[in-house]
Amino acid sequence: MDDEYTAGYREPCSQCSAVDWGITDECHFYCRSCHNVIERTRDVEDTGFVQGGSNKISSIRKGSKKKLERGHIWMVCEGFQFILRNQANALLRLGVSPQFKDDVLCPLWRLFLQRSRLAYTSNPVKSSKFRVQDVNSYSDSAAESSIMSASATDGESNPPSVADSNAENASDYSGSMDVSSYLSARLRRKRSPLSMMKTLALIHLALVWSREALTLSDLLRLVNEGHVPYVNAYEQLPEEMKVVGKDALLFRVESIPSHRVVHKEAQALVLFLQLPAFPPVTCETLLHPELLSLRYLTDTNLPDELHLWVCRLMEQAGMADQTLHTFDPHSCPVLPRYDVQTAALIIVTMKFLFGLDDQTEWNLSNEVGNQSDSGDMFNLRRWYRLMQTALMRAQQRRRQDIARKQWKAKKLIFPKNNGAKRTMMKKKRIAEQVQLCFEKLSSRPAGVQEVSPSSFRFCWGDEEGSDGPSLHHMKLDGVVSQKHNLLTPSNSTYWHPGLKKCDRRRCPSSHYSDMEPTLPRSFVWLLQLFSFLLDVKPSDLYEEVLKVERQVIGTKTHCDVSSRKKKTRTSARTKSSPRTLERTCLTGGESGKTVSDSS
Amino acid sequence: MDDLDRELGPYEPVEDFSDFSVDNSSKGGTNVKHPNVNPTMCLETPRETGFHRSTRICLEQIREAILHHRWQEAAEYMACYPQLLEDTCLPLAQQNKELLWRISINILHHHPNSTMEDYNNICERMKHSGIRHHLMICLEHSFHLLLHGQAEDAKWQLSSAESWRHGKESAAQHQRAKLIQAYRSLLDYVIWCDKRFSNSNNYFDSDNQGMHNNFRQASLNLKEILKSPGVWDSFILSYIDMLELYDDHEEALKILNDYAYNNNFPPNPNAHAYLYRYLKRHDASEKNLMRVLKVLHILVPSHELMLDYSTLLLNSENEADIQKALGIILDMLDFTCWRTNMDVWKCLKAVIQRLEIQEDWENFVCEKMALRKDWWPALHFTSFHASKDLEENPELWKVKASLEKVLCPKQTLKYTADCVTNGKRT
Repeated sequence: MDDEYTAGYREPCSQCSAVDWGITDECHFYCRSCHNVIERTRDVEDTGFVQGGSNKISSIRKGSKKKLERGHIWMVCEGFQFILRNQANALLRLGVSPQFKDDVLCPLWRLFLQRSRLAYTSNPVKSSKFRVQDVNSYSDSAAESSIMSASATDGESNPPSVADSNAENASDYSGSMDVSSYLSARLRRKRSPLSMMKTLALIHLALVWSREALTLSDLLRLVNEGHVPYVNAYEQLPEEMKVVGKDALLFRVESIPSHRVVHKEAQALVLFLQLPAFPPVTCETLLHPELLSLRYLTDTNLPDELHLWVCRLMEQAGMADQTLHTFDPHSCPVLPRYDVQTAALIIVTMKFLFGLDDQTEWNLSNEVGNQSDSGDMFNLRRWYRLMQTALMRAQQRRRQDIARKQWKAKKLIFPKNNGAKRTMMKKKRIAEQVQLCFEKLSSRPAGVQEVSPSSFRFCWGDEEGSDGPSLHHMKLDGVVSQKHNLLTPSNSTYWHPGLKKCDRRRCPSSHYSDMEPTLPRSFVWLLQLFSFLLDVKPSDLYEEVLKVERQVIGTKTHCDVSSRKKKTRTSARTKSSPRTLERTCLTGGESGKTVSDSS
Repeated sequence: MDDLDRELGPYEPVEDFSDFSVDNSSKGGTNVKHPNVNPTMCLETPRETGFHRSTRICLEQIREAILHHRWQEAAEYMACYPQLLEDTCLPLAQQNKELLWRISINILHHHPNSTMEDYNNICERMKHSGIRHHLMICLEHSFHLLLHGQAEDAKWQLSSAESWRHGKESAAQHQRAKLIQAYRSLLDYVIWCDKRFSNSNNYFDSDNQGMHNNFRQASLNLKEILKSPGVWDSFILSYIDMLELYDDHEEALKILNDYAYNNNFPPNPNAHAYLYRYLKRHDASEKNLMRVLKVLHILVPSHELMLDYSTLLLNSENEADIQKALGIILDMLDFTCWRTNMDVWKCLKAVIQRLEIQEDWENFVCEKMALRKDWWPALHFTSFHASKDLEENPELWKVKASLEKVLCPKQTLKYTADCVTNGKRT
């Protein structure tokens, strides 16, 4: 036991030059060969000065060897199954219909296991340590059955439950047993068949399949706020499943993936699973832009009347069709991004009504302001001021929440190396103690304050704690007028950047950062507002806006024109005259007019 | 105990103590280091994890709060920050510890509700979090204890730091260890002083054994430390103070001479000043005193002791000494800090008076003033100076006015009372 303390001290004894140190009862070092006591003592750290702390670690060291993490033998996909189940349960608690878990997510998960040859297969993924033997009979039948119509089963059953039979053979085993096969595969193909992000992608697919009103950005927000377990989700694994060593590489989470990344993953997954067409997303479904836009209009305090125009626009562009919003391997092979698309639709509608060229919208606001009965008329300037302060506040709050967020788990994933384990525990202990000290000093606990889950970022109305008065009932009379018995926007111009599609592979970086300085400020601000709302990058939203514009204005005829127009527009811009801008946008403006006239 | 391999890496000094550097010459004074904060810590990187983003923004918030002295807010964010220590990115571990330590103690220094207990707590944690900063933290801790008047505790801290050993690591930090020793001895001196003044009548009683023990402990270390080149001003003063009480003049003189004249030490005007004052206290001969001041004059012509020097020179009968005195006083007056000093001007007047007895004194003054005649009038003898001196110190004006013609005989200067009285009348 002395050796642990004296090992670091390799000076020869001054009396006999031997290097063989022991520790006396008074904690002094002494030479074992000549019994010469030297001045050096055992590290001060272990004396009683540090209250409690150091005793803890030594007791753990002693104790742990005997009852060394002896848990059940388990496989990585089992671990993920538990996590997926916990996530699904959390969603059920938040009000998602119970069919989501049993009828959709569970079969999806099984299909995934089968397709990735992790289970339900006669030809499993090769694992160096472990071979699946007796699973075959069990899995074949499951694989045969039509996956998506499988009857409700308990998500907790362990399909590849071979582990128990082998438990005796590997009694000193701890941690998942096949993690190394995942990691070597990861190194080979740069992509592990299972990852924490895959759980989110799977859940997203299942939510879309069951047509729940949760978009991807909603899901990520729930994850971010901790309502759906994701960061340190492994902590909720049963006691017997020890997460040790390399498991960390699969289960430790240090960031929440972005909207874009999860969408990409889900898209890849949908192709990998070779899913059939999804249930149709009709305009009665909450995911459909028609209803989703209502929610976003409410959240951004825009008048309800605007919804009418969003619907008109969709109709005009032929975007109301359900086939456009339903994933189908043949007709619509791209998984729609409902949230981003809806936001883009609202932005385009705003552009039609208000121009958003830093000129028209303010002129319109002035006109509305000058009218005598402007009481319940929507004034964009007023809305902008309200929204801007609320947005600033919310951004500030989000920043504070990010700063305060605690990522590290209470239960650590220890490396198998004992030295590294001790260092980790020590770091953890010190971090905890420093945290405790400052929590006491500031009398405020660390971490983000718990908020109850909500579909809305902002709150409008008269009640306390709201972001401002509600403008939902406001009329759009100031910006639309009756012409030939048809409501027509008084703004007749529409500007848009070049709509020519470019090859993603050839210019991988988005054009937004190049374009941003030349775009009208009010438009950029609106992009920022919605990208904050959905927590996506403004560039992603911008791309989607362009996509909608292509749909609305019609790419076929305008492709060449618009690319030419883009040039003239930018050259006009350099002269920085808003009038020329208006003129150069005339072509776009005419098409905008036709949209509203014919509807 | 710890996983030493992780802790031990290529050693880098955390900070340069330019004031107390034990070996300035070898460093060449070029590596003025800023605290070791990686700039990447404050920048967003494209592949940043959420965890790193949180810690980065948290650090920004803390910095913002500290800059605006919002200590409560800083403490709140600080409670969220220690997770940084659990960063799995190992290369940054040392740096993170240092960062955490420095910010923590900074907040504790200023937060209105912080207690000594908190401070001790954090210091102990951080001391044992890594061996790299152990000595630095000990030193910092003892300074803090001293600030709160706990000299004994501070000394205890330093003593325990002194006995701290960690194989190769303590060897690598031997300069810091030396500093710890030096401060421990200084604290011994402080305690020694307390005891000395508490029973001031009889130092050499047997019940003053404790005090003598302090002296022995302090002197043992200080003697060793003062041998190594560096600037040890406060340490040397305390050592000399103790030696004087115990009448060990030989040792004191040896130490002071060494400090002043050893070429291994960086040039230090204070060393000569200390030597001079010591010699003066012990009634050394004027010749000795002047020898010390002569060196000091070369190092710092504007030193306040130059007044003493010229007085000493005036006392001698030698003509050359008087001329030397003139040079020294004129040198002093080259510096604006002495411009309105009565004593210096008076001394100059005395020197001139003594000179006037000599032959050819005017030529000599001209020679001395040759280089100064262009700018001295502007420095000392403008009408503005006249009015200001008249207002603040009429006597000074008188002295200066009488010297004006002597120093700048061929120039017409406006250092007169006329303009002032005229100005007042109109």
